[in-house]
Amino acid sequence: MKLGLEVFNEKAACNACHVLKAAGSEGNVGPSLDSLNPSPTVEQVKDIVTHGLGVMPAFGEEGLLTNEEIDAVSIYVAKTAGK
Amino acid sequence: MSKKINSSRRKFLAGSATVAGLAAATSVVPISVVNANHLEPGSKGLPDFIKWKKRSALIIHSGKTMESHRGAVGSSVITPIRHIYIRNNMPSMTDAQIGDRSKWKVKIEGVKNPKTFTLAQLKRMGQTTIATVLQCSGNGRGFFPHKPRGSQWRTGAAACVMWTGCPITTVVEACGGIASGTKYITATGVDHVPTGLDPKKATVERSLPKKAHKDAILAWEMNGVALPNAHGGPLRFIPPGYFGINNVKHLGKLAFTSGESSVKYMKSSYRISPIGKKGSQYPSCWEMPVKSYITSPLKSAKSGDVVISGVAFGGTKKVGKIKVSTDGGKTWNKAKFVGPNLGKYAWRQFVYKTNLKSGTYNIASKASAGGKSQPELRTENRRGYAHNGWFDHSLNIKIV
Repeated sequence: MKLGLEVFNEKAACNACHVLKAAGSEGNVGPSLDSLNPSPTVEQVKDIVTHGLGVMPAFGEEGLLTNEEIDAVSIYVAKTAGK
Repeated sequence: MSKKINSSRRKFLAGSATVAGLAAATSVVPISVVNANHLEPGSKGLPDFIKWKKRSALIIHSGKTMESHRGAVGSSVITPIRHIYIRNNMPSMTDAQIGDRSKWKVKIEGVKNPKTFTLAQLKRMGQTTIATVLQCSGNGRGFFPHKPRGSQWRTGAAACVMWTGCPITTVVEACGGIASGTKYITATGVDHVPTGLDPKKATVERSLPKKAHKDAILAWEMNGVALPNAHGGPLRFIPPGYFGINNVKHLGKLAFTSGESSVKYMKSSYRISPIGKKGSQYPSCWEMPVKSYITSPLKSAKSGDVVISGVAFGGTKKVGKIKVSTDGGKTWNKAKFVGPNLGKYAWRQFVYKTNLKSGTYNIASKASAGGKSQPELRTENRRGYAHNGWFDHSLNIKIV
C-alpha cells in the first residue's frame, strides 16, 4: 500500500488529474476516484493504468511504470477508491 | 434476408429494466450508470460548472461527462440548452481564466496575411447563424458488444444546436486568402493544460480536410445565449457535419496546414480502427454518418392511435428518407419529416402515425442520406465510435 501511495502521488502523478481522499489528491482532469460506484476491482484499475484512456497516459504500454509499480498502484486504488 | 441476432442484445433485452446489467457485466471503468439517473437513490447533483442545467434531463457518468435522457432532446428540433449533454476532455475554462471576453484572441495562420483577431473584432467583421447536430464520436458506445473503455453513452451525447458567429470564409478573406500548399484546417483549444500533464497529450487540437472550412463558423452564441464556458465559450470552432471533438472549444488558433496535427487527440485518439488494432493510419472521427432514433414513445403508450416520433440526420449530407418499423425491422413504413428544415447540418423531426393494439412491439427507425442507409448493426471498431446501426437503437414498447 505504501508503494502504491508513492506511485500515485510521485512517479505516476495520478494526483495531478484525480481526486482521491485517501491520497489527499484533488486533481480535476479525470473522474474523481472517490465517486466511482461500485468500487473498482484491481483488474479494472490495472487495465486502465496499463492501456490509458483518452488523455490518461498508458503507463504500462508506454513503459512509464514498472509492472511492480502498476500492481502496487492498482491494489492501492482498488482498496481506497469509491469508499 | 435473415436477421443477425446480436446475442448481447438479447442479454440487454432480458436484463435491461435498468442498465445495472451493463454495469455489472462490463470490464470498463465502473461508473455507476444506475446511480447516475436523478431518480436513483444516492444520485449526485450537478457539478458547479453546470449548475444551470436541468438535473432531471441528464444522466451523470462523471464530473465531466453527462448525457441527455433519450427524450430530453424534445420534439422541436432545437435541443433546450439546459438539457444538452456535457463531454469535456479538459476542465472547462473559468471566467477568471478567460478574463474580458471581448478581448479573447484567436490567431489565424496558414493564410497569406496571418493575423490575430479579438472577439470584439470578429463581431464587427461578420455574423451568421447555422443549425448543426453536435454529437460525441462515442455516442452509442454503450451498445457495442466488445465493451470498449470510455463513456458508455447510449443516445444522449447528441443535440441540435443553433450557433451564431463569424463565417470562416469571412475571416480567410480578411487575411488575404488561404496559403498555397495547405491541405487541412487545424483548430487549437487554449484551455489550460493542468501542470504535470504533457501538452502533446492534453492539448485539444484537431485537423480537418480543408473543405470543412467552407460552411464553418467561429461561434460565440449558442441557442440565443452567450456561449457558456462549459460548451467552449467564449469562442468555439464549428465545422458543421463533423463529430463533436472537431468542434474545438475555447478556440485560440485556427491554421491552414499541410499536415495533420501531431497531438494525441488527433494522431492516436479518435481513430476508427478494427477491434484489436490501432494507429494513425486509420480514419479519424470526421464526418458523421447518417443516423436516426425514436424519442417517443420510449416505454409505453395507449392502444389505438400512436404517434411515433424521433430525429434523423445525415452528417454533412441532407437526410433524404426516413422509415419506421413496429415489428423489429421485418417491415418498414415511410415516415414523414415534420417541422422546419433548418438545413442539411441540423436534424429533422420525423413522425409515423399508426394504430396499435395491446401488446409489446419492437419499434425502430432507419434513415438514409447521400445514397446510404443506416446499417442494421454497427461498424465494429476498437473504441466504439460512430455507432449508427438501427437495431441497437430500437425500443421495446408496451401498448396497453
